[in-house]
Amino acid sequence: MSDNPILRVRDVRKTYGGVEVLKGVSFDLERGQSKIVIGPSGTGKSTLLRCINLLSPPDSGSVILDGVTVEERGINQIRAQIGFVFQEFNLFTHLRVLDNVRLAQRNVLGRSKREATKRALEELERVGLSDKLEAYPAELSGGQKQRASIARALAMDPKLILFDEPTSALDPELTGEVVQVMKDLANAGMTMLVVSHEMGFAKAAADEVIFMEGGVIVEQGPPSTLFTCPEHARTSQFLRMITHEHEEG
Amino acid sequence: MDFIEFGMTWMPFLLEGVGVTLGLWAVAMVLGFCLALLLVWGRVYGSKPIYLVATTYVEVFRGTPMLVQLFFIYLGLPEIGIVLDPFSAAALAIGLNTAAYQAEYFRGAIQSLPSGQMVAARAMGMSRFQALRDIILPQAGRRVIPQWSNEAVVELKYTSIAYAIGLTELTARAEQVGYQTFQFLEAFTLVAIIYLVLTGIVAQSLDLLERKTRIPGLTYTGGKME
Ligand SMILES: Nc1ncnc2c1ncn2[C@@H]1O[C@H](COP(=O)(O)OP(=O)(O)OP(=O)(O)O)[C@@H](O)[C@H]1O
Ligand SMILES: [Mg+2]
Repeated sequence: MSDNPILRVRDVRKTYGGVEVLKGVSFDLERGQSKIVIGPSGTGKSTLLRCINLLSPPDSGSVILDGVTVEERGINQIRAQIGFVFQEFNLFTHLRVLDNVRLAQRNVLGRSKREATKRALEELERVGLSDKLEAYPAELSGGQKQRASIARALAMDPKLILFDEPTSALDPELTGEVVQVMKDLANAGMTMLVVSHEMGFAKAAADEVIFMEGGVIVEQGPPSTLFTCPEHARTSQFLRMITHEHEEG
Repeated sequence: MDFIEFGMTWMPFLLEGVGVTLGLWAVAMVLGFCLALLLVWGRVYGSKPIYLVATTYVEVFRGTPMLVQLFFIYLGLPEIGIVLDPFSAAALAIGLNTAAYQAEYFRGAIQSLPSGQMVAARAMGMSRFQALRDIILPQAGRRVIPQWSNEAVVELKYTSIAYAIGLTELTARAEQVGYQTFQFLEAFTLVAIIYLVLTGIVAQSLDLLERKTRIPGLTYTGGKME
């Protein structure tokens, strides 16, 4: 652990309607590191991601991005540095793929059309969508939509990307292409915080696994140790449950 | 044959009324459109007091007859010193009224959009204004065309209430033709045909616009989008 992590989350708490969803979450994310967050439904994983870029501002605690405290002031410039990939893709329905990837580059980063196009083409090529530039989102498969949304995040040149269950809305046969893109990203040194139960990604590309339950981090560690000999009984219970689900599915 | 001759004779006189009718309609629709944008902003994004003002406006104008609104403006307002000529009074009444309906259609279109796109836009650092301008407006605008078209046709017909305050628009001229010729049946048949042609053109043009601007995944289905 360095003293200069790209993301430092300290004692983040969040309450919804009297229920404390996050009960003090702390961790660091180093440059180029990929961490995967697993845990039961309703545990606050999505809430944690949304607290990091203030889509849901934390009630207390701090989030520090590259040495700068994330706060309401100047939030749009900070959000531009944090990519967010959603389970439901959330591509802009009325824009073709190329424009989906160009829009925020233009109106948030103020890039010229030419520059935005150049970056968009590079990232769309990276995710294998060079032949879909003119397609509307409704004309893409789920896997293509998610890859387009990853390209949209990448084109902003973010310092890190948050993924919230990027493969959960996909048919099983389409998850592979998205996982492959994410693995490539991790190997290329992108900093990533991924909420997902995709074991393929976790084992192949995650530097660390964070197991969350009931609004706290129960334990974290490298996939090799956490998956094989977890410290806490709850962790092994949960792991048994998800591997079981995967075998059944 | 008689009817065709009748039509040839009186058509020029009636067409002058078409000018007034269309002018009235156009002014009212534009006024209504601009006001509707303000109202829908208040209804969807406004703070509590603004929301209440906009909602009250919509309820009042949708809950009272347009003729009452017209008389209120033309006959009532002079008592407090606001005197309008019949054209302005009618344009104002129809414009204020259609604003309430247009606002509701816009609101429906906005609220039928999936909320995730707004979140995605904000997550990338777009301001609320940018997200509204670049994402919500172009999508809601497309989705509202069928209902807006319907409203435009309804209001085109409603311009005939200006007759009640003495504006010689299309309907008033048809009545004049009737009294001059005592061929009321022919006069009103003719005027009905003219209205039908006008509403047909409006509906068809907007239908064409809808088809030209159509985008896969954005078509209006009457319900919420997936
Ligand atoms: N905007 C909100 N308003 C009220 N309650 C919320 C809100 N967002 C989340 N919650 C509640 O907070 C808890 C944690 O939700 P969260 O979505 O973070 O869980 P999660 O770990 O992502 O679950 P899942 O695996 O199902 O996605 C849940 O009980 C949820 O109902
Ligand atoms: Mg979640």
